[in-house]
Amino acid sequence: MEQIYVDKTASRGIAVAPVYLYQEPDLSPVGELVSEEQSAAELEKFNRARENVQKELEHLAQENEIFAAHLEIASDIVLKEGVEAKISGEKKNAQLALWETIEEFAAIFASMDDAYMKERGADVKDIGKRMMAELKGVKRPDLGRLETEVIVAARDLYPSDTVKLKSEFVKGIITEEGGVTSHVSIIAKSMNIPTLVGVRGILDKLTDGGTVCMDAENGVIVIEPDEAALAEYEEKKKACEKERAYLESLRSKPAVTKHGKRVFLCANVGNAEDIRHALAMNIDGVGLFRSELLYMDNTHFPTEEEQYQVYKEAAELIPQELTIRTLDIGGDKELPYFEFEKEENPFLGWRAIRISLDMKEMFKEQLRAILRASVYGHVRIMFPMIISLEELRDAKELVEECKRELDAEGISYDKNIETGMMIETPASVLLAEEFAKEADFFSIGTNDLTQYLLAVDRGNKKIAEKYDYFHPAVVRAIGKVIDAGHKENIKVGMCGEMAGDKKATPVLLELGLDEFSMSAGSIDYVRKQILGTGFF
Amino acid sequence: MVSQKVTIKNPSGLHARPASILTQTAGKCKSDVIIIYGEKKIQAKSILNIMAAAIKSGSEIELQCSGETEEQDLKTMIELIESGLGE
Repeated sequence: MEQIYVDKTASRGIAVAPVYLYQEPDLSPVGELVSEEQSAAELEKFNRARENVQKELEHLAQENEIFAAHLEIASDIVLKEGVEAKISGEKKNAQLALWETIEEFAAIFASMDDAYMKERGADVKDIGKRMMAELKGVKRPDLGRLETEVIVAARDLYPSDTVKLKSEFVKGIITEEGGVTSHVSIIAKSMNIPTLVGVRGILDKLTDGGTVCMDAENGVIVIEPDEAALAEYEEKKKACEKERAYLESLRSKPAVTKHGKRVFLCANVGNAEDIRHALAMNIDGVGLFRSELLYMDNTHFPTEEEQYQVYKEAAELIPQELTIRTLDIGGDKELPYFEFEKEENPFLGWRAIRISLDMKEMFKEQLRAILRASVYGHVRIMFPMIISLEELRDAKELVEECKRELDAEGISYDKNIETGMMIETPASVLLAEEFAKEADFFSIGTNDLTQYLLAVDRGNKKIAEKYDYFHPAVVRAIGKVIDAGHKENIKVGMCGEMAGDKKATPVLLELGLDEFSMSAGSIDYVRKQILGTGFF
Repeated sequence: MVSQKVTIKNPSGLHARPASILTQTAGKCKSDVIIIYGEKKIQAKSILNIMAAAIKSGSEIELQCSGETEEQDLKTMIELIESGLGE
């Protein structure tokens, strides 16, 4: 039995289950030259592996057409002949012959200019890996095939992995890399799977199938627990479930602190599904609707009509405020149908409002869609990444232009629609007093604000510890922004990770934050914290 | 052996879907089907070979079929390419 303490909890909860090591096995070839007699056996080995992979892909192709393309490559006659020639002619064993042939093809595709063709190189390699796994008789892990409850342990999990996650089987996640704002953390939180990230060296300590207890409340992992520890964690799990039930019982209470201050408890969402999920937690509104998901999960810039339908559905779902953030793309978020120029510093580059103000027609389609949807609820427009008054004024002027167009066309919208801005750049903090005179509300985006204020890249593992929104510079900036907003009587909210961190709640309440907006998984915890806070 | 020249009309050349359709049809031919593209000699039954050749839109290729059913196979292949390979 061994206990490990972890400080990065990405998603809370307790789990006790066998480990599923999600790790690519060693697929490098054990290469050797073979005799004339042996080469017939090697040929047979290769053809058997090829047939097995074909069968596997035929099966997969029924569900996903990507695999139909993979099947064509796996069945390719030139690939087969290439490997066979290396076995019969050059007397290489099957593993070496396969490896070399795959590398040759992958190199051809990799050298092409066309991005689509470059990707086919990855397909070829993937097929090579499938065949190699067959030849070596090793299993490659597949999250989609889980049929029993497990705790998944991996170096990191990417979108292609997490789409296959099923919460009925995946009871916990432990990764060696990643931070609490990484992709896996966000997904795990939305699925309510207990998750610990950044646990260096954990993969070497775990064995596939060995039992593990994980406490993602306090950050503890127990490897190969003894009877006593098992019993203890089963107990903790029950207590945790009881706590969950208690938290759910608090949902009916409005978010009022002990000394009587009412704050707004809102959700960050990406689509209607997220809103439905969050509504169950008795939210006071949506503090952040990420419109970029509509653009990212698409084959073209969504049209006004397409966007209108989405915003309308969202507005109808939620009677309280629905804050739609206009397109926030660039940085680490790309579009599949639009080529962004490579930039030295994408986070300091052409992104968010900068793109929208440069591509006015595209931006206006979004603004018109939001305005049209505003008659169905209480919609607010929020601009991201603002650094100057000119930008805010230009964006607001475009809203006015759209309003005039709609007036002329006789289309109705909410005439009193509020337009606010994100505070996520140091410039917007320093100019908060001026901005407060022209914006209808503020929402502090602590993820970007922290990284810009501290000059710490939040994705960089080496300096991950320096990324800290409790840094006095960040806390003072938040205080300054809240004061500036209150001086002009506008509401100040927060929609970054910090708003959903219950450890930060007392500080934020003390600074006077009006609205806390967070992923649905954090709402219950922050509500409890708000209800229990109040020192005077 | 029989052969005929034909021009590729597909807007993005022979890649992705058109390449796949060409390979599938060639795969059903009993004769050997070879594409001559510039100096390159390409196995029409191999998706990898065709995609790796990166045949661009507007290029002229020569199709060669050799085998018992060569006449019929050449006709089938030429018609398929001229019809735009499903695009």
